[in-house]
Amino acid sequence: MAEELKIGVVSCSGEDCAGGTISRLATRKMIDEIRPDNTVTICLPLFIAGGQEERMFAKEYPTIAVDGCKQACAKRATEKYSGKVNSVVFVSEIIGDEFAESPALSTRDLTTEHQAMVDKVAAEITKQFDEIMNAKGKDSGARKSSSCSCGCDC
Amino acid sequence: MSTNKKVNVIACSGMGKVYGLMAREAVLHTVQRLCPEQAKTLCLAYIVTGDEEALAGFDNQPCITVDGCPAMCSAKSVAAMGGDIKEELKVLDVMKLHKGAKPGTATELTPEGWAITEEIAAKIAERVQEIQKEER
Ligand code: SF4
Ligand code: SF4
Repeated sequence: MAEELKIGVVSCSGEDCAGGTISRLATRKMIDEIRPDNTVTICLPLFIAGGQEERMFAKEYPTIAVDGCKQACAKRATEKYSGKVNSVVFVSEIIGDEFAESPALSTRDLTTEHQAMVDKVAAEITKQFDEIMNAKGKDSGARKSSSCSCGCDC
Repeated sequence: MSTNKKVNVIACSGMGKVYGLMAREAVLHTVQRLCPEQAKTLCLAYIVTGDEEALAGFDNQPCITVDGCPAMCSAKSVAAMGGDIKEELKVLDVMKLHKGAKPGTATELTPEGWAITEEIAAKIAERVQEIQKEER
């Protein structure tokens, strides 16, 4: 049987901007709820701290970068250390620059408004995800267990 | 209010494990609530890009790194980019003091997870104060 296609979703997770919090939560939503069986992710700093296996990530999986602001760190770091990304979701274009560049949010301070932002960003990731799936001629509803490719053993 | 520049406290924010979320939340708690005048954080992904502008964010100030697992992504990335690391904290070291604890998931912490995260934040804050004294 053919291997099911997995798509990489790499979040910038910026710790200094609210856009980073939304980016991280929307990526987690892909893994937990929306496409759990076909989404893989990686802890982005493993491109430096990890080995060759981690740096193969974007070559091994079609990859969507999810960036909190226009600095586009997830895209640029992935392309610098691993390989070209297939697409980018700019959180700040969806939720607005001003909020995206405001201080990072703790998950315990999330309001329903923030949750709605997460949902909007996750919807855009899903759209790009399904476009890649369709282009690859696969059904994203196919089932296989989800995984994190971070390589840590904790 | 401190007259010294702020200590950089940088979390790994690991995506796949609860310990990455604990590192992230502990750092946010420290810089936003416990010592906002003495500590600040930086986006680790920005540091990883190696951009001059991102590295200028170190501000020639000491750094504390906080990592979720033995991969030590924050410590290794900050070191690789020339940051002056004074302390490398590990969430797992604190978890060893709480055997059997259920801190939550990579998406959400339980009340127990928050309590341990605040303990980590208190440790970070203590080191921030000490480092600021050493730097005077
Ligand atoms: S893209 Fe923006 S929010 Fe994300 S890590 Fe970079 S600077 Fe921070
Ligand atoms: S230290 Fe571990 S949990 Fe943190 S980013 Fe690296 S691999 Fe992920």
